Amino acid sequence: MELARDLRKGASLTTVLAPVAGAAIGLAAVPDPVFSQAMVGPGTAIDPRREPGTAIAPISGTIVKLHPHAFVVVGDDGRGVLVHLGIDTVQLKGEGFTLLAAEGDHVTAGQPVVAWNPAAVEAGGRSPVCPVVALDAPAESVGDVVQGDVDAGDLLFQWS
Amino acid sequence: MAERKVSVTSEVGLHARPAATFVQTAAKAPFDVTVAKAGGQPVNAKSILSVLALDVRQGESIVISADGDGAEELLDQLAQIASAS
Repeated sequence: MELARDLRKGASLTTVLAPVAGAAIGLAAVPDPVFSQAMVGPGTAIDPRREPGTAIAPISGTIVKLHPHAFVVVGDDGRGVLVHLGIDTVQLKGEGFTLLAAEGDHVTAGQPVVAWNPAAVEAGGRSPVCPVVALDAPAESVGDVVQGDVDAGDLLFQWS
Repeated sequence: MAERKVSVTSEVGLHARPAATFVQTAAKAPFDVTVAKAGGQPVNAKSILSVLALDVRQGESIVISADGDGAEELLDQLAQIASAS
């Protein structure tokens, strides 16, 4: 089935960029089993710098879902990447997040999507760690996962 | 074709943990499984992208459909996941 999908999509390679600046720590370090056990999908997570920042689009494509605390960008090849800004941040109901794009917008990789402040999320008692997940991807399709310091827009992982 | 209509009661809707559990359970089935908002277009229930994009909020109703050996049992499981708070 995975082979069939590769054939259908021409075995493309998706370069996923770091949506925020910080330290790439891997999904296993996320304090939420739904991400740390890769239930949502493979990828990594970034422990963001504790300063006001902007989350950018990790790939070029359409913003199919935009919540203040999370968004999904789907590339022209149909591949979707989820960026989740902090853990349990749905409970903030958008407070502290400013949308810089709109659902349905076509964005290029690196374009600002949401402004937020990881320090404020942490001060509110929540983890600001940001999972970046390849949706519907087999675990082995994600590689070249960067570890350590990244700036927003740096290569984060490759999705083959 | 078997189906279940349930109201999603989780505070986060069919996102995060409920969505991941829902999709993982559906993906085990050897037959097609779809989910739709009541009156809406069905999407692949085995795709986390499709389920997240469906954007089911708390209190909304969904229709889960499947056809195959064991469909009734699977739909019971999925209905339970979707309606768990």
